[in-house]
Amino acid sequence: MANVLDLRRRIRSVKSTRQITKAMKMVSAAKLRRAQDRALAARPYAQRITSVLASLARRIEVLDPETGNLRHPLFATRPEKRILLIVVSGEKGFAGAFNTNILKASFQFLAANEDKEIDIEAIGRKAREQMRRRYPAAVFVESTEENPADGSPLTRRARSRKARVEVTGDHPGLLEKLTHDQVQSLADDLIARYVHEEIDACYLVYNEFKSVIQQRIVVERLLPLIEPGKHQVTEAIEPTAEERERAAQAATSSGVSLTPEDFAEADAEAAKFGTAEVDYIYEQPARELYNGLLPRYVASMLFHALAESVAAEHAARMTAMDAATNNASDMIDSLTLYMNRVRQAAITKEIIEIVSGAAAL
Amino acid sequence: MATETNQLRVRLVTPDRVLVDAMATAVELPSKTGYIEVLYGAAPLLAELGAGDVTLHGADSVPTRFNVSWGFVEVLPERVTILANDALLPSAIDLPRAQEQLERGHSLWSAAGDSAEAYAEANRVLDEAQAKLASAAHHE
Repeated sequence: MANVLDLRRRIRSVKSTRQITKAMKMVSAAKLRRAQDRALAARPYAQRITSVLASLARRIEVLDPETGNLRHPLFATRPEKRILLIVVSGEKGFAGAFNTNILKASFQFLAANEDKEIDIEAIGRKAREQMRRRYPAAVFVESTEENPADGSPLTRRARSRKARVEVTGDHPGLLEKLTHDQVQSLADDLIARYVHEEIDACYLVYNEFKSVIQQRIVVERLLPLIEPGKHQVTEAIEPTAEERERAAQAATSSGVSLTPEDFAEADAEAAKFGTAEVDYIYEQPARELYNGLLPRYVASMLFHALAESVAAEHAARMTAMDAATNNASDMIDSLTLYMNRVRQAAITKEIIEIVSGAAAL
Repeated sequence: MATETNQLRVRLVTPDRVLVDAMATAVELPSKTGYIEVLYGAAPLLAELGAGDVTLHGADSVPTRFNVSWGFVEVLPERVTILANDALLPSAIDLPRAQEQLERGHSLWSAAGDSAEAYAEANRVLDEAQAKLASAAHHE
């Protein structure tokens, strides 16, 4: 039987663990609030870009009636043979099943598209580690040839595909300090690949986050743009009622609001941008407007996804740490009870020894 | 008619936040093809924004001048909404960085060769740097 001293030591150790998990929970709650604020601040711009694009698409057909060409290559749909999959995971662990769920959804996607060539862009450290372990990195071969015009050397970068699924890139640190510039350059890269027909579609796996109790893992099609202003969610995994309840408990105990922020009014205002029922004078021809708008639109969709994923990661960590704190408290209670029993037993034993000793005299 | 009482509602929105939401009698904008000044009752217009200064006239809020680069603007008779990719107060412009950008633009320009795309990109960088420098100089 364990003695009292050992038990006391164990209780002390569990108590310090509880302090750490509690602190982590509080830190995550604060970070969650900040992530939510940031996602909120990006909303007016994203909304306006979306509404002006939708309005432009309504007024000016995507197909040029004179030439029959598309106004922008991002509207072109091709049979999906090569897919780019962007996996958005968390940067760190200790977030419950957050990273596992994201990776599970990605592997399901990969399994469902067995007959296609897939490139993976991993965002977040966890996705990078897992994807790198499973799939080879893409290899690019540089070749130099003569420029036919003037004979100067011309370097060409060609992809040599070795496996069906390859990792083409990762973005360490992108989520830690999410900036629009970085997201824009990522979006520009995607667009370039799509326009050059290196990929036929671009999908995004991430954790959508409306509020602590309204979140789910979604697979969303980013490119081609079929209908601007609409999220093309192809798959979604909803959390179970139990998970939701646990998240709600964690949120209330750390003072995070459960309801999504009320932006109905601001959204309604933003949705009016560029959509007034008047005939606009377009200073630039439609093609140029699309050229300017679409990269910003794709970037804002991407930013939205990343910002929500960051918020979801913090929320998941907060929930996990809340559960850990509760478990530690339960453990301390039961250990204390056990310790008291052991102590009482020792005392009883000693009394019995004394009494029986006295009786024997 | 544009009179003193007729004011435009001007909003300047960047990807990060809403920078300005104010009333003004007129607003100057750097569109991609040159500066335009918008008064109350202007015809509805949708234009791409270039690099330069947005100036609010007769606005009730200070500051009234911002350096913006690229984006879109929607003009309605009583409302102007500017969606800028980047907007800065002239006092917040980092001069050494703008200078550096100008040099980078020059080197891009000379390295562009025959590629129209590279020229466009170099011009973008140059325009932005020049607009920033001009805006900061104006401020001092």
